[in-house]
Amino acid sequence: MTPVTIEIPERFDRDTVQPIADRLDAAVARGHAAVRIDLSAVREFDSTAMALIVAALRDAKRTGTTVELEGISEPVLDYFSLVSVRHLIEERKPDRQLGFVERVGRGVMPTLHVARDSAVLFARAVRSLVLGPWTGERFRVSRTVAEVSEAGSSAMPIVSLIAFLLGLILAMQAWLQLRIFAAELFVADMVAVSVTREIGPLMTAILVAARSGSAIAAQIGTMVINEEVDALEQMGIKPVAWLVVPKMVALALATPCLTVLFDAVAMTGGMLFGVSVVEINPGAYLERTQESLKLADLASGLFKASVFGTLIASIGCALGLNVEGGPEGVGRATTRAVVASIFAIIVFDAIFVIVLRVGS
Amino acid sequence: MRFLHRERPADPGAGDVEALIDVEGVSTSFGDNVVLDGIDMTVGRGEIFVIIGPSGCGKTTLLRHMSGMLPPSSGVVRIGGESLYDLPEEELDSIRRRMGFSFQHGALLNSMSVIENVALPLAEAAPHLSRDLIDEVAQMKLEMVGLLDAKDRAPSDLSGGMKKRAAIARAIALDPELVFFDEPSAGLDPITAAAVDNLILKLARIFGITMVVVTHDIASAFTIGDRMALLFDGRVFAHGRPEDVQQHPDARVQDFIHRALPRDEARGVDITDYLAKGALR
Ligand SMILES: Nc1ncnc2c1ncn2[C@@H]1O[C@H](COP(=O)(O)OP(=O)(O)OP(=O)(O)O)[C@@H](O)[C@H]1O
Ligand SMILES: [Mg+2]
Repeated sequence: MTPVTIEIPERFDRDTVQPIADRLDAAVARGHAAVRIDLSAVREFDSTAMALIVAALRDAKRTGTTVELEGISEPVLDYFSLVSVRHLIEERKPDRQLGFVERVGRGVMPTLHVARDSAVLFARAVRSLVLGPWTGERFRVSRTVAEVSEAGSSAMPIVSLIAFLLGLILAMQAWLQLRIFAAELFVADMVAVSVTREIGPLMTAILVAARSGSAIAAQIGTMVINEEVDALEQMGIKPVAWLVVPKMVALALATPCLTVLFDAVAMTGGMLFGVSVVEINPGAYLERTQESLKLADLASGLFKASVFGTLIASIGCALGLNVEGGPEGVGRATTRAVVASIFAIIVFDAIFVIVLRVGS
Repeated sequence: MRFLHRERPADPGAGDVEALIDVEGVSTSFGDNVVLDGIDMTVGRGEIFVIIGPSGCGKTTLLRHMSGMLPPSSGVVRIGGESLYDLPEEELDSIRRRMGFSFQHGALLNSMSVIENVALPLAEAAPHLSRDLIDEVAQMKLEMVGLLDAKDRAPSDLSGGMKKRAAIARAIALDPELVFFDEPSAGLDPITAAAVDNLILKLARIFGITMVVVTHDIASAFTIGDRMALLFDGRVFAHGRPEDVQQHPDARVQDFIHRALPRDEARGVDITDYLAKGALR
């Protein structure tokens, strides 16, 4: 069989290459034993044209076609001197496709990893805190104070605003039900009990997760990719003692404090609704509130808040410290810190509800 | 736009070639910090122009001015006779597409693999090409910088020197006429650095690409440079062919190219000075 000759026009560059590409493809794909590419007319040539020739050589190698290049001028040859065509057309293994089990596994593993990493980090932080005096891992008071102010004080406005609105909403929902039984006065009880037991710690923790959990993951993650954490370690400063413990202690303290604020403001909001819309006598409202508030409820709420704060810090720090993949990875860690924290908060809350109810 | 008719000047650096870039009286300050102070220089078509100077003297800033990224506080930058920052945005963009820039720290897009980074400029500039062909071009550019085997990795998984080479591959993705290199071989081992020098020389010789190269590497500057400028304190100190710079009479130029510490720093504080001035009394 005589070889097919493909004559390349004078201009062979990225604006004119596509029709030639189609002709070449057709010739090689049709399984001609030999294809001759005549380059003698070429005056203008660029890397797209060169890539086309390389692609043709690659295809030819696969289909067993011989490709002859004819009339190559000196400059075009120069161009080819920059690369090894043999290396370019070598077979490369395509990326392996994941099987079903693997894909499911990849979906579930991260959650388990986060849980494990956070638990391990929590244990190390506790060890650093407890054994610090003996191991020389000093507790950093000033860094902790700074963290408390960052996570706590600066969150007060937003916590108050949300607490106030939620107080109003709760009072209204309670009233809509209670007025059926002409028991409007119990709006005060409903608000006080639901806020101190459940809504206060839960909402506060979710806010802290969104504000501080993400910030912690982003800050530590950035430090990791800038090798700052390695630098700390190299200077003999333990990253757990320096970074993690202050954040954990700070959130364990700041979250219950914010919860106290939340509880107080939410009850004020509830009272405002009760007094102005339901027209309950302020004195009576306060009395009902006092009656229904139990120290045990308040304490269990604050205990929960403290646990939630610790969870948020552990998860944020663990995700930050395990960042992979550059700045992109920091973004992922930040989002996951919030989602994982909220998930953990709800899971722990469910456990608490069961345990604390069983206990009462 | 394409190469075959683009010849490298027979004697690049001789100064008789047509000017491609003209920098006239460029000064720039960031706040009170005067970084560039009346820079004048010309880059001829087809030549390799090297800018050297101590760290922080404004080399990167000057490159940003020349490549249309940042207008100077005062002064004019002309490319092919057109004042760059007086052009409408579309024309500036079309000039930008004819230039490549290899950033000091790579500046690869982290969300894409290495090959996607290199393919991106071509995919944007020539959407009519098939994806396979674009990938083929990108692979070829990666082969030129010896990075073909790492093409599917994420930029964050590359070493510093590999990032730099990927950045060079991206800078030449569109077969530019003019390429700016910001410290192409800093942080590379001597062999890879020599390979980068070699690549720059080949690209200039084969395609007649004009190159502006910022470097700290004196040896490489003298190897590849057709002409060079030495920047000190925001001013051009020595400007010309390598041999002229080498024989420049100024002591500071000699110190810089011979890697000597400036005299007063090398000596440290001489206590007798203080005693003589009575400062310690
Ligand atoms: N965007 C900016 N804002 C403020 N100051 C800047 C900015 N960019 C650069 N500078 C200052 O300008 C000066 C010169 O910076 P430039 O990056 O040009 O130096 P360089 O010569 O490239 O240094 P190196 O060799 O270390 O890369 C430095 O003092 C730097 O702090
Ligand atoms: Mg620089």
